[in-house]
Amino acid sequence: MPQVKCNHCHLSFSDEIMIKEKELNFCCKGCQGVYHLLKSDGLDSFYDKLGNKTITPPLNFDDDDISKFDTDSYMKNYANLNKDGFYEIDLIIEGIHCAACVWLNEKILHDTKGLVEANINFTTNKAKVIWDSDELKLSDIILKIRSIGYNAYAYDSSIADEKATKAKREYFIKMMVAVIASMNIMMLSVAKYTGFFTGITPEVMNMIHIGEFLLSTPVLFYSGWVFFKGAYFGLKNRILNMDFLVSFGALLTYIYSLFILFGAKGESYFDSVAMIITFVLVGKYLEVIGKKSAVDTLDKIKSSLPLEATVIDGENKKQVALNSINIGDIVEIKTGEKVPVDGIIIKGEGAFDEASLTGESIPIFKKNGEMIYSGTINTSNLIQFEVTKDFKNSTFSSIVTLLEDSLNSKPQIQDKANEISKGFTVSILTLSLFTFLVWYFFGLDLGFDYEGTNHFEKSFIVAISVIVIACPCALALATPIASLIGISELAKKGLLFKEAKYIESLAKADTVVFDKTGTLTKGELSVTKASIFNDNKHNLELLYSLLDTSTHPISKSVKKYLLSKYDLKQKKLSDIKNIDAKGMSAVYTNDEGKTSKLIGGNLDLILDENIKCEISVNNSIYVFAIDNEIIASFELVDEVKDYAMDLIEYLQARNIDVIMLTGDNEKVASKVSTLLNIKKHLSKQTPVSKAEYIKELKKEEKIVIMVGDGVNDSVALSNSDVGIAMGTSADISMEVSDIVLLNSSLSSLKDAFEISSRTYKFIKQNLAISLIYNLITIPFAMFGFVIPLVAALSMSLSSLLVVLNSLRIKIK
Amino acid sequence: MINDTLFFMLIVGIIISAGLLLLFVWAAKNGQFDDSNKLIDGMLFDSTDDLNDAIEKEKKIKEAKEAKALKIEEKEKASHKND
Repeated sequence: MPQVKCNHCHLSFSDEIMIKEKELNFCCKGCQGVYHLLKSDGLDSFYDKLGNKTITPPLNFDDDDISKFDTDSYMKNYANLNKDGFYEIDLIIEGIHCAACVWLNEKILHDTKGLVEANINFTTNKAKVIWDSDELKLSDIILKIRSIGYNAYAYDSSIADEKATKAKREYFIKMMVAVIASMNIMMLSVAKYTGFFTGITPEVMNMIHIGEFLLSTPVLFYSGWVFFKGAYFGLKNRILNMDFLVSFGALLTYIYSLFILFGAKGESYFDSVAMIITFVLVGKYLEVIGKKSAVDTLDKIKSSLPLEATVIDGENKKQVALNSINIGDIVEIKTGEKVPVDGIIIKGEGAFDEASLTGESIPIFKKNGEMIYSGTINTSNLIQFEVTKDFKNSTFSSIVTLLEDSLNSKPQIQDKANEISKGFTVSILTLSLFTFLVWYFFGLDLGFDYEGTNHFEKSFIVAISVIVIACPCALALATPIASLIGISELAKKGLLFKEAKYIESLAKADTVVFDKTGTLTKGELSVTKASIFNDNKHNLELLYSLLDTSTHPISKSVKKYLLSKYDLKQKKLSDIKNIDAKGMSAVYTNDEGKTSKLIGGNLDLILDENIKCEISVNNSIYVFAIDNEIIASFELVDEVKDYAMDLIEYLQARNIDVIMLTGDNEKVASKVSTLLNIKKHLSKQTPVSKAEYIKELKKEEKIVIMVGDGVNDSVALSNSDVGIAMGTSADISMEVSDIVLLNSSLSSLKDAFEISSRTYKFIKQNLAISLIYNLITIPFAMFGFVIPLVAALSMSLSSLLVVLNSLRIKIK
Repeated sequence: MINDTLFFMLIVGIIISAGLLLLFVWAAKNGQFDDSNKLIDGMLFDSTDDLNDAIEKEKKIKEAKEAKALKIEEKEKASHKND
């Protein structure tokens, strides 16, 4: 069948289902509507801008919720009056895929009368809209956005968000200043170092020094200010941290170079000052970006809960803001709505999708007297429940709060370079002080002559040259360079490391905690055993038609299985009923008018119908019967992922404890853990208890790696030393975790451990190289034997050695 | 002589790059670099129409602000009269 592109969304569909209009093709009414709207408003240059990209077809809105945008409570919660007398609101716009979408939304909003300013951020899909409330209502703005096929809802722009944006901007400017200045310094350095070999007059040399001085000053004091700040806070807490080493080393090198500039003999190192600050700053900037995008995702999650809930007060129903729902209130929720607060069901029964809390994709049936939790979705019936926890303490809100907290207090592993730098700094400072004292008081004068300097200055320059020669160049590069190469190797395997330091944590890890569903298992059921008692195509087609009416994961899997084996056609069914948490029933009328009753579902349903059945299994099962005769049964299992066994074996061989946590029941949990030979597992875990367990492990001084995928794992992920998320995970899990397995394959997780250990080995080698280099050169510096050319060359040589050694990570 | 020229060019070079850098800092502080993706695609949107739109946009914001300020002023006057 020929595939045709829709003229609006550019997605391809088969020719026969398209809506035709002369030579135009549309995949749906929505696309058609938007296309004509854009044409008539003169916005059709959108399609030029879109190019070959595709967009999602417009969503269908019944717009019956539109009035809520104009309520006082909505306005009070989200909109602010600014100093010019206009209202401002922060929106999240759904459906933005490309710059053309941003352009279209901004354009249509700006063409609206009464709208003052609309600014959409493409990366985060957040928008700031300012409008005049005298001329325009908020609901009109939302309707405008919906009319072109996007959706918008308000979010509470948190303080954390504002702070993160500001921090990102500040670091970006600082980094760019450092990068631009360093690039210019490098150009001057080319002239300087060629001068060493081809001859250069002292005047020109001095000129270059002045240029370097002018350029490196802002780098050190403007861009490098963050390191001085970090060093200060470190000192306040009596810690000599990496910031101290960087800022102290750079500052002393700068002062030393100033002496050289103003007449002392020797070599200036303004270029080193700028390079160190720039390199380390780029790393810091990447960290800040990571934090910012985590905040963005949290905002999206928070606004996924409804703003108000229907509270039943005697005979009346009223809409109440979530914050003002009290314990003991009766709340009503319709099908498809999210549970706003925790409570106990008092009327109605139905299945609840708890995937956001437990990670299990199969809805759980709940009846009178059972607890339901906020954030879960009511999938079947109208339910009334009594509130047992207020909004702030409800499950969903407390998860969000926990995440927000943990983002700010990510556990820090003391890494090797930091440890060494501490000892290094102290010993270098002592040596340098010692050198100064000996030179000053004993008049030691072995080295080259320092014309035009007095005794004190001479001693001082020699003392500083000790620090400059020992300058953390190679030491500061030892970890980053090896990590950089390690990270690029890991990226080739589909592993995204957010920060380099996790390489070391992974290499040192002694406990790995796995989530079950979606991490060790595929997270979807597949048919492992099919028993078809009556292999008649007509019957199977009836089964297929019944399965097709359900969206339950089990039905979907059985349907997939059937389609892979047989070529089946739909039959027309009537009187289709959904029996909660059990299955479905329907009636089929054949050509002669004879009716037969179809039922399909689990064993409970079959027993309810009093059908004789001798099947008993531990797995999930789907049984299909026509007129009380069993036609087929299917056993379904959530299969273990490929390489899972391999990975667990590998980890255990490395003496790493493997633990499995799951929200699922004990029966399934123990089955999977026996299969994979996992010695310890815990079942029926909630998001909070998972995180508590991780914290317990950490109290035992263990380095804990958590591997998970769902929203339910996110708190645990962010509390672990290293959180690893699958590429198919919920957005929030990927944001709070430290490593993302882009291909979700467990074999690349094994690679992660292997490459990390390898990289860590090279980091240690590099540290050794730079220490040995220092052992050799520092004595020379202490005796004043710092020949300019040798000093300059050896400075680069040590760094070069470290870089070359790191390249060996690639060679296996 | 050559040295003087070299020195002069060096200083001019640094001054020019400092000027460009300041321009960049101003733009970044205004939030122009907050959205990296929009920035990258920005060159797709520089036709005459787009530039005219940008000017219209600025104009509209300015006018709306002035109109609002006038209105608020009038309101205040009216309330004073009532006093």
